[in-house]
Amino acid sequence: MKSYTRRGFAALALTAASALALSACGGGAEAGKEAGSPTSGEVNLIAYSGIWEEQYTKAVIEPFKAKYPDIKINFVSKRSSAEMLSALQGQKGSPGTDVAIMDNSVSTTGNRQGLFEKLDTSAVPNMANVPEKFRNKDGYGPVAMLDAVGLVYDTATFPTAPDSWKVLWDPANKGKVNIVAPPSLLGISLTAITAKMEGEDYTQSIEKATAKLKELAPSVQSFAPNPDEYQSVITGQTVIGLGQNARAQYYSDQSKKKIGVAVPKEGSVYQINTINLVKGAPHSAAAKTFINYALSAEAQSAFAKALFYAPSVTNAELPAEVKARVVATDNPDITALDIDFLSKARDKWTQEWKRQIITK
Amino acid sequence: MSIITAAGNSAPGPGLAPGVLEKAKSRRDRRTFLALLAPAILGLVASFVLPLAYMVRMSFNEGGPDGVVEEGFTLRHYIEPLGDSYFWKVTLDTFQMGLVVGVLCVLVSYPVAMFLARSTSKFKGLLTALAIAPLLTSAVVRTYGWMVILGDTGLVNSSLKSMGFITDPLKLTNNMTGVTIGLVEIFMPYAILAMISGFGRLSPQLEEAAGSLGASKFKVFTRVTLPLTLPGVLTAFLMVFVLSVSTFITPRLLGGGAVQVLATEIYDQTTGLLNWPFAAALSVILLVLFGIIISVYQRLTKKIGA
Amino acid sequence: MNNPKLSIVDLTKRYAPGLDPAVDCLSMSVEEGHLVALLGPSGCGKTTTLRMVAGLMDPTSGSIMVDGKDITQTPVHKRGMGMVFQSYALFPHMDVAQNVAFGLQMRKVGSKEQNRRVVEALDLVKLGHLAGRQVKELSGGQQQRIAIARALVVEPTLLLLDEPLSNLDAKLRENMRTEIRSIQQRTGATTLFVTHDQDEALDMADRIAVMNGGIIEQYGAPAEVYERPQTHFVADFIGQANFFASAVVADDGAAADGERSYVVDVDGFGRFGAVGAAGLAGSTHEIVVRPHRLKTSLQQPAGPFIEGVIERVSYTGDSLSLGLRAGGKELLSQMPTASSGIPRLGQTAYLSWDPADAFIIPGTAGIPHGTERPATADALAAQDVA
Repeated sequence: MKSYTRRGFAALALTAASALALSACGGGAEAGKEAGSPTSGEVNLIAYSGIWEEQYTKAVIEPFKAKYPDIKINFVSKRSSAEMLSALQGQKGSPGTDVAIMDNSVSTTGNRQGLFEKLDTSAVPNMANVPEKFRNKDGYGPVAMLDAVGLVYDTATFPTAPDSWKVLWDPANKGKVNIVAPPSLLGISLTAITAKMEGEDYTQSIEKATAKLKELAPSVQSFAPNPDEYQSVITGQTVIGLGQNARAQYYSDQSKKKIGVAVPKEGSVYQINTINLVKGAPHSAAAKTFINYALSAEAQSAFAKALFYAPSVTNAELPAEVKARVVATDNPDITALDIDFLSKARDKWTQEWKRQIITK
Repeated sequence: MSIITAAGNSAPGPGLAPGVLEKAKSRRDRRTFLALLAPAILGLVASFVLPLAYMVRMSFNEGGPDGVVEEGFTLRHYIEPLGDSYFWKVTLDTFQMGLVVGVLCVLVSYPVAMFLARSTSKFKGLLTALAIAPLLTSAVVRTYGWMVILGDTGLVNSSLKSMGFITDPLKLTNNMTGVTIGLVEIFMPYAILAMISGFGRLSPQLEEAAGSLGASKFKVFTRVTLPLTLPGVLTAFLMVFVLSVSTFITPRLLGGGAVQVLATEIYDQTTGLLNWPFAAALSVILLVLFGIIISVYQRLTKKIGA
Repeated sequence: MNNPKLSIVDLTKRYAPGLDPAVDCLSMSVEEGHLVALLGPSGCGKTTTLRMVAGLMDPTSGSIMVDGKDITQTPVHKRGMGMVFQSYALFPHMDVAQNVAFGLQMRKVGSKEQNRRVVEALDLVKLGHLAGRQVKELSGGQQQRIAIARALVVEPTLLLLDEPLSNLDAKLRENMRTEIRSIQQRTGATTLFVTHDQDEALDMADRIAVMNGGIIEQYGAPAEVYERPQTHFVADFIGQANFFASAVVADDGAAADGERSYVVDVDGFGRFGAVGAAGLAGSTHEIVVRPHRLKTSLQQPAGPFIEGVIERVSYTGDSLSLGLRAGGKELLSQMPTASSGIPRLGQTAYLSWDPADAFIIPGTAGIPHGTERPATADALAAQDVA
């Protein structure tokens, strides 16, 4: 018996050692080289799941296929940008993914980690239509679409759209409020918005915001609504909560206006998605073709019509009724969060929520 | 050990020193034994040992909050949580949840298991299958079911309201109450199975014997039935405890973000904050705690089973 | 039997309406200090009867009385009986002494008194030295004795034994028979004992109740049941038997014990002598002759005889068992062995009997002359063993 144990231990040690070796290596990718043909082959795209995938496929991928029948798009969907990033981190060295569409804050982390390739107008001519403010200052993937955080509400309870974030604190809504807590961008945004309302610079401190949010906590039905923050309102579990304008607009149509969405007067926070070329992408030539198409006026307005994301290009024309429902990209009240600050603060804020705000 | 003893007992052939034959035999037995085990061992190494080793290694890496993992060796991810009262609170909540779910689950499953173990009905097989049939649907689906039943406008609250017992809905979801109710139901089939298989020593005759010796029904239960079924109860409890403590789906869905346990914390760290080294360290800590509990359990069953 | 310890009156158990009753209107009394065997084939209702007496099963109707008190409705734990189960049912989570003490604890006997009585009970079964052992360390015979000690230590009103020997090997069974009988006699415990083994019943019991199909076919002392079976079933089930359908031709005068001698016409074999109750002349009955009471010789005897061909011979040392065919009928006989002259197969042998050894079975009145009842499976099996 004894010898077995010893042998077993040796085997364990060996596996542990090999695991060490495995995790220790990880080669650098060859940068800048073109892989594959620009008009044929396939493109592996990683992006959001659910209705986002559904609508993006309908509005962008299918027309793209019609235009480039020899390029096959493989859509790998993830529930969040963080999950996309962790998938890309796992592939580092030998990527299987070509293009990623993800939240700006997360793609910035990816840029910093060297997961993505720089892009310019010579490779992606349509980038010329992306205004300077939507381009990455270091030349990485530009903004592909924008949205903003808003209040989603039950239209029966609120015949007129609520115009202030303060409605969340209204005792009348006690037990019927939805908050999506950090690390979700919605919760992070609410923290920043509350800080602003409390006259606090969130980059310095969120003390006052935390105190204010603590007052909100007892009214909250769920800090992680299920199946999601929109269905929670549609099914009547809650009447007010955090949500994104674009998706809420879409669900409003789907639910015969049971749910509504508003961007309150105190302003809001943009949710920005960038489109990125993966470093060492196996089909980088076709991927660039796809990115160029995704930034075309045609694709941009089609997706705005489908899911109400605001186009990031200047030449996309939208019908008036659609334009009214997508966020304005030049609204001074809607701000973008400081990405560099956020990447450091996300963990801290999440902990703050868990320890201070969400308590039983 | 028994294989070797058996070989030793067989009569050695003429002219051979008994020791030689024994050794040859046991060596051959051992080789066959290993050869037969090889596929299982390989499978275990690939699916369990390697990922585990990778996880342990990961827990010593330097990690940043934005998902950067740097090769290195630091005990930071162990020292930080161990010195953090929040971590201890989460751990305590986790174990308290496991304890409560384990106890409740055993309490509600015991009569069912007892009934199934004793039944002589021709439908016994069917009834047992029915009792464990919930395993055929995923825990996610069942958790959603409970959300519908327990929600503010759910079955329980609306019927209580219509009967006039309450005016404001009872808060049964998005808190520990909901998670506990959901977990108890979800783990009942496991508890029932574990108990049925642990009730082997119980026979109706033992209870009859106790009765004939003057034990009332209550005494029969406390002095004979319960002690004899205790190993099954303990196994069921441990199983449910471990499953509850490590489960993620139900606390996440029925907890509504307000129930923070180790599993949800590990999930948040892994997929939300991408702090893999910290998540790995938490997993290792959880694993060590499991190890301690299981060894305590084994000591306990040895005491009872003796 | 003025004051029977136990009396059972019209006890009936029907497991389900419409089903034949497992126990059918059964009545019997047991005298204080007696060991009574409930004997019968499996399914005869003997265990059901015992379980109803123990209180482990509710009767459909009828009553059970102990010391004149009706206990039919008394729950099992208040009946104060000691029961030994076929599987012994020792508590595996207790040691030997704890097992024996269990009944005393339930009766809230003081711990000193408990210890004394446990030691006493273990000494009674000669296992005092095993008090601290775990049950699983005991052999079958030891478990058996502990089970008896556990049942007796509470000084039960009745000791109930359910096939207590059937799980032991043959040799141990013999020993335990004597052992149980002697313990029972020493303690004077009135005992009801279920068995399917006729030897066990004959050896141990003061009275045997032979059961079949939910009723008692005959209830009496072992010798009575063996020598004077009241029914064909009893004669057949207990010991080996040769049956002859006979017409009782004439009363031949008084015999011993108030019985009469008769001349009977044995179907197909002529006239023989037999004994039976008074007033049987002119009837038809079966007579039974036990194999060892059949005189078997190779020479033709004087007087009536049955001529048969030897088909089977089995030599057991002190006796020879023979199977013979006579007039299409299979007969069994036994003869003492002699140092020479063992009968051969195919040889002709002559069978006869003393009139006192042939008994006219009362319960077989009116069986048609000229028919033969088939031997029961038990009787056939017994032949093969012999």
